[in-house]
Formats: sequence, structure tokens, C-alpha cells
Amino acid sequence: MPMLSILLLIPFAGALALVLWPGQLAPGRLRAVALVVLGLQLAWSLMVLARFDPSSSAMQLQESLPWVSGLGLEYRLGVDGLSMPLVLINAALTLVSAICTRDISQRPRLYFALVLLISGAVNGAFLAENLLLFFLFYELELIPLWALISIWGGANRSYAATKFLIFTAVSGMLILGAFLGLALATGTVDFSLTPVSSERLAMGTQLFLLGALLIGFGIKVPLFPFHNWLPDAHTQASTPVSVLLAGVLLKLGTYGLLRFCLGLFPEAWAQLAPGLAIWAAVSVLFGSLAAIAQKDMKRMVAYSSVGHMGYILLAAAAATPVAILGAVFQMVSHGLISALLFLLVGIVYRKTGTRDLTVLHGLLNPERGLPFTGTLMILGVMASAGMPGMAGFISEFMVFRGSISAYPLATLLSMLGSGLTAVYFLLLVNRAFFGRLAITPVTDPVTHGRLDVQLAPVAPRETIPATGLAMAVVAIGLLPAGLGRLSESTSTAIAQLPALVSALQLASGPLLGLQAGGLG
Amino acid sequence: MPIIPAELVHSGGMPAAAELEEKLLTAQTLLAETSEHLIEVVDVLKSYGEVLDAYSTNLIFQAEHQFLVPVPLFKYLDGEKSPAKIWRHLNHDRINFEYAEYCMKAMLWHGTGGLDAYLDSEAFAESCAVIIRRKTRRDPLLALLHPLFSGFLIELIRTAATTHALGQFWRVMSDLFLDLARSEADGSVASIEAVVEFIKDGLVAAAANPITYGVEVAGEHLWVLPPEAGLTFLVDVAVPYVEAVFLRGLPFLGTVSFNAQAQQISPDQAKFAYGALFADPLPTMGAGIPPSLLMQDMFRHLPQRLDRLYRKRTRGEGDVRVKICMSFQKSMFCVTNAAIRGTFPHPLNSPEPAAREANRAYAAAWAARLAAARTDCLDPLP
Repeated sequence: MPMLSILLLIPFAGALALVLWPGQLAPGRLRAVALVVLGLQLAWSLMVLARFDPSSSAMQLQESLPWVSGLGLEYRLGVDGLSMPLVLINAALTLVSAICTRDISQRPRLYFALVLLISGAVNGAFLAENLLLFFLFYELELIPLWALISIWGGANRSYAATKFLIFTAVSGMLILGAFLGLALATGTVDFSLTPVSSERLAMGTQLFLLGALLIGFGIKVPLFPFHNWLPDAHTQASTPVSVLLAGVLLKLGTYGLLRFCLGLFPEAWAQLAPGLAIWAAVSVLFGSLAAIAQKDMKRMVAYSSVGHMGYILLAAAAATPVAILGAVFQMVSHGLISALLFLLVGIVYRKTGTRDLTVLHGLLNPERGLPFTGTLMILGVMASAGMPGMAGFISEFMVFRGSISAYPLATLLSMLGSGLTAVYFLLLVNRAFFGRLAITPVTDPVTHGRLDVQLAPVAPRETIPATGLAMAVVAIGLLPAGLGRLSESTSTAIAQLPALVSALQLASGPLLGLQAGGLG
Repeated sequence: MPIIPAELVHSGGMPAAAELEEKLLTAQTLLAETSEHLIEVVDVLKSYGEVLDAYSTNLIFQAEHQFLVPVPLFKYLDGEKSPAKIWRHLNHDRINFEYAEYCMKAMLWHGTGGLDAYLDSEAFAESCAVIIRRKTRRDPLLALLHPLFSGFLIELIRTAATTHALGQFWRVMSDLFLDLARSEADGSVASIEAVVEFIKDGLVAAAANPITYGVEVAGEHLWVLPPEAGLTFLVDVAVPYVEAVFLRGLPFLGTVSFNAQAQQISPDQAKFAYGALFADPLPTMGAGIPPSLLMQDMFRHLPQRLDRLYRKRTRGEGDVRVKICMSFQKSMFCVTNAAIRGTFPHPLNSPEPAAREANRAYAAAWAARLAAARTDCLDPLP
């Protein structure tokens, strides 16, 4: 049975069905259909997980079908320890984002179809074993997301959506350019995932192609200084779209770093790695410092993403087995934690009408505030700051443990960023959740202390998605072995790529010489 | 700048001191006259009366039966030590008697009025000496403690005396508030003005009640607060109680904490403004804010009519303690209003300029203090 194709078929067919379904459908009905489709997708992802053999580092459950062979485009899917967790996260977080989509009155049919389309495209990108196929799915997700921001976004949505589109279109062009350049330089139309050795391709060309890929994926991750689109996109996007964007779509960038940058050009990567580690540290510090300066809760969480994605670049630069496994953990835990934080910021925004940290106070108030939301927020920010017992600690610890011997300075600077996470998130919690409840600026402290604030209570069902994510964050923090086992073989194999390629070259170099001599 | 929906925040008016003074002098009520206010005040005072009944019984029990017991483990059980009662106590299915003790300690610590003066007198020291002599004869632990810490047992006796006096005060107030509820039910009280008058009459009637306190030591009756001390209900207990609990209070740590080093708490005890009339109803059930204990107790005894009214407002039962606290403040303004009305130095309609001037000065002093209190609860809700 084509296990992986069904994983694409479910969301795509669901999207198509939503668009083509005849007659007028109530938004609630459309949402229910989307939920069923996404539930199916999650169930099928778990089926794939059940068939997955964690002890093997190779691509599994492979399916291949020639498509446009003249172009080198081949429909070739496979899953390994790097893509398996991401496929699961995609299914889970798309489901969460559909669950937390409430009272959508404007074009609900299109909305849910686009969400399904994105989820399918992301699955395709994670599963593609052909560079062009990956690129196809990578581009496929752009326009739906652009539409999600520009149709259902905030007041400044068209600016943010256009910015997003321009940045990610450039990212796509660079990636496509690098893939085509690779084909051109090697003189083949083989777009398979085979590591390039310097024996096949001069190091200069490799570095050039890798540079293009790095910038392309660096925009998507995003890494400083290509991060500019992200805070705007997040602030203008609605809560479910932010959940998708932070939890799933940014992972395409980090997945690309590991799969294509490190995976295709291991030797060139090893040469650039010291610089990449410093780049990672700069990105971490910039993201953290920028987050400290934010007054908008959502922008603060968005900048924290910039910082936390830097850890993945650091881990990839170090490319030790522990670091790569840490990177996989960080992708999963950042997906869960940032989705959790965006959900909670969304609840605060829905109840108070603002995300301004100069205005919100005391939301933890047990009777009139949002105490359970506040509790989950404290849990979320602690997880994000790397508090032991939660997912953030495991991933950060592994990233730092795996990188410190290779790049001590960059790792120490990144650790500083981890400390800064505690700074900005404690600022957030302290301003918005502690003290006397208020949602207006302090002009006169006396009257301010007398405000009778009447926020609508948060219904238990509104916090179900966030509670689920919080439980997952704690579960991974307490029992990381499951995820570790899932990805260990693959991450070890990725980490050994540079050594493997140079070893192959050492072995084949003299041999080639002998052959040449014999021929001569 | 964010857009704050106007319906989410409401801030009651803060009348100026002059306006409050005018209302006091012209015998208007401080609390706005509305039918909802009447329900809130009468029903909250009814539940308060029931809670005060329990507080009063327990305080008197503590003063009489737990007198100089060094480790009063069962002081909240009113002498009934059945396993079922102990289980309910441990399970917290009970009245928060701790709140009554906080009030007693606030009175003891702020120490204003005749009771406090008597607790520092020669006569009191002499009765303490007698009591301690009798008590230490049979109690080896006290016999050891007294020579080591000579002030300790005296302080415990002062505490017991304040406890008993507060118990007697609340006995009167409990009966008064329950009477008020009955009068409102039978229609003889039908306005805020009538409520204030009813309470004033009750206070005036009880004003001269003697406050006495005696203990049994080894079968012998000994006075702690003897009749000769001449302590009376209104001047020696009620007024110090209002001063200590309604006005001054104690700056407990809650969700808003105070920094004493930065002088956020006045070094002058008389300027304290943390009492029930100043308390912020919002941080209820936060760490260590005692009024929340009282709100919880009143919630257990909430009349159905008031419960129905609360269910219609804001979060229903979700924020009921906040609403009880707001209603409680409304009713405490009525009690304060009645107390001020009953203690004017001269009749309000006196034509004499000197009497009018004295009344004005009296009203101005009160108005100045009340103007900083939570007067925002006085207006009707929008």
C-alpha cells in the first residue's frame, strides 16, 4: 500500500472536496469536515509511524514513479528519522490550528481548503526524495499561506503578506537556482538526494551552491538578517495561521538546512561550519535581544522564534550525532512550544482586545482574569527558556552538549541567548500576568487601581488545544527516549556524512590515480 | 495604541471629600439609593450576620475555654471534639475563624480607644499578676515560661481580653444584622436610608452596654476586664474596631505587594489605609489577603435572592467573591455612615453656630479619610 502517498492524498483530497462540495455549507460544518480530514491525516501519520523502523537510518516506505524523466523530476517519496517527527508535528499542529479556528465567518470554505492544502504540501516537502519534487511542494505552500495572511489577517495584513511573499519567493528562487546549478555543474539531470563529493564538483562551485541554499533556507528559518518578514507576518496573521507558521512552516527551513545543505554538500558544509556557528550565535542573540525590546506579546514570541531557530543552525554546524539529534528535538519542541505560546497569546487577544505589554496587567487574577491561560503561559515560557522537565530543556541541552566541544564560543553565546529567553519571557509574564488586573494604560494610578475589569471567562473548551500541547511539551521533557529512538539512527548517519564523503574520497583518490596510470 | 473595548472596563466615580462631607451633614446616605443596592446591602449583611454569629461564638469560646492554653490545637472546634467535626475541619468544610483572629490582632496591634488604655493600666497588671499566680501553680509549663519571659503571659491575657471583647461586639452586630434582614423581609425597612437609620439606632441602643470578661481558674472566678473598668460597647470596642479593621487594616502581601523600605507603607501607623473600606476587591483569594477568607465564609451563607442577582452579573459564580466583596464594601459604607451619624457631637439640625461648626469639623475629618477609600462602589452599576 502506498503509505506515504496516502499521507498526501488525504489533505489534498480534503481540500478539493471542500472547494467542490455543492451548495452552501455552514462554517461549523466546514470546520467539522476539515477536522475529520485532519484527524484522518493524524491517524494515518501514526500508522506510518507504526510501520517505521527506527533502527534503520535509510529512507523507508519508499515509493517512486517516473514523472517528467527528461527534467529529472521523479515522484519519489520516503521517510526517515528526520522527516518522521516532522510529519507527525505537521499533522498534530494543523489539527490544532483547525480546532482553534472559531467563529470564522469570512469565506470559511476557502480558509479550510487552504489550511489542508498547506498541510499536504508540507507533508510532501518533508517526504520528497527528489530535489525538484521538494521544490514543488515548498512553493506550493507559499500562496495558500500568503492568502491566509492577506485575507484573514489583522489591519496591516496586506503589507505583511506581501513582505512574506517577496521574502519567501526569493528564498524559493535561490533554492531552485541552487538545485538547477547543481544539475548543470555535475552535468546530470539526476535530482536525487545523493551527497556531492569534491571529486565530482570543485569546492568553489560547491561553496557557491551551498551559499545560495543557505540564504534560501535562512530566509525561511528565519535567520538574522533575513528574519525581517517573520514578526510582521505573525503580528498580522490570525492565531491558527501563526500556529501553522511557527510550528510547521519554519521547520521547512531547518529541515532544508539539514537535508539539503548538510546532506548534499557535506564537505563544503564542513568548511563553512565555523562561520555558520558564529552566524547561529548572532542569530540567537539578535532574536533574544530584539524580543526583549518588544511591547507586543505576539512580536515577542515571534522574535523568540528567530532566536530559537538559531540553535538548530548551531547544531547543524557542529554536526555531531548528539547535536543533530538535538536539532531534531529542537524542531519538535519549538514547534510545540511556539504553537502553545501563540495559542495563548491568541486567547489573551480575543478576551482583552490587546496584546500590548504596556497595557495588560494581572491577567493571572483568579476570579476576573484568565488564570488557566496564565498558568499555561507560565508553563510555556518556562519550557521555552529551557526549564528541566520540559521539551525545551532536552533539546537545548543536547544542542549545547553536541556543539560545545566543536564551537565553544558560539555555544556559550547561544547559551547566553537561552538565558535571555528567561529574561524576555519573565518580562512578558511579569507585565501581563502578575500584579493588579488591568487592560488600560496607567495614566492615573489611583483610578487605575479601581478599574472594575470585566473580561469574558475562558471556556474550558477554548483551552483544550493549548492544554494538549502543554501536556506534549511536558511528556517529551520527561520521557524523551521515544523521540530520541525515532531519530537517533538518522541523525547519527547525517552527522557522519562529512567524514564518510571525505573517507570515500581518500579511498577512491589513489585508486583513480592507479587507473589513470594503468591507462597511460 | 490598542483599542480597548469600553464595556470591558468600568471605573466608579470618586466623590471629593467636600461632597462626602455635604452628604454626611445633610443626613443623605453615602451609598446611592437604588433597589439593587438595597438587596445587596441587606442580603450581604444577613450572610455577614450569620458568619459573625459563628465568629463571635468561637472568639468567646477561645477566650473562656482556651485561656492560657499554650498549644490551643482545638481552638476552632468550639469544644466539640468529635471525629466527624475534626474531619470536616481538616477538610476545610468550615468557617474561616482565622479571619476573626486577624481582626482581633489588628485591634490589638493598632490599639486605639478605651480597651487598649485599660490593657496598659495598673489595675490590669494587678489582675494579671493574680491570674498568673493561680495559673502557674497548677501548670508547670507556664510556671517555667513566666519567669523566663515575664511579658509573655501578660501579652497572652491582653490577647484573650481583646478576643473576648471582639466576640461580645460581634454578638451585638450579628443580632443587629439578622434583625435588619427580618425587618427588610417584613417591609419595615425599604430603602438605603432606612438601613442606615436601623443600624444607627441599633448602635445607639447598644452604646452603653458594659464590656466585661472573667475567667475560671481552678474553680475560682477572676476578672480580666472587671465591671469597675467601665468599658462600654460603642466607645471602647466599636470605635477601635472600626478604626483598626475598616480603616487602618494591615498591609498583607497579596498579588500587589508593598515595599516598606521604600516607604510604600507609612511609618505612621495612624495613616494606614489597608482596611476593609480600602481593600481592592479584585485580588481575592490571592496569597494571604484575609478579606478573601471572609468572602468565602459569606459565600457559604449567601441568601438565594443575592445569589440570583450575582448569577446575572459578569461571570456568574465564577467571580462571586469579587462581587460579594463589592457588596460588602457598600454595606460597610452604610455601617460607617450610621456610626458617623450616631456619633455627631451635636444634633444635625442644631441652630447654634458653634454646634454646627463642631459637626462640620467632625464630618470633614471623616470625609477626608473616606474620600481615599473605595468610594467607587457607592455609585450604582452602569
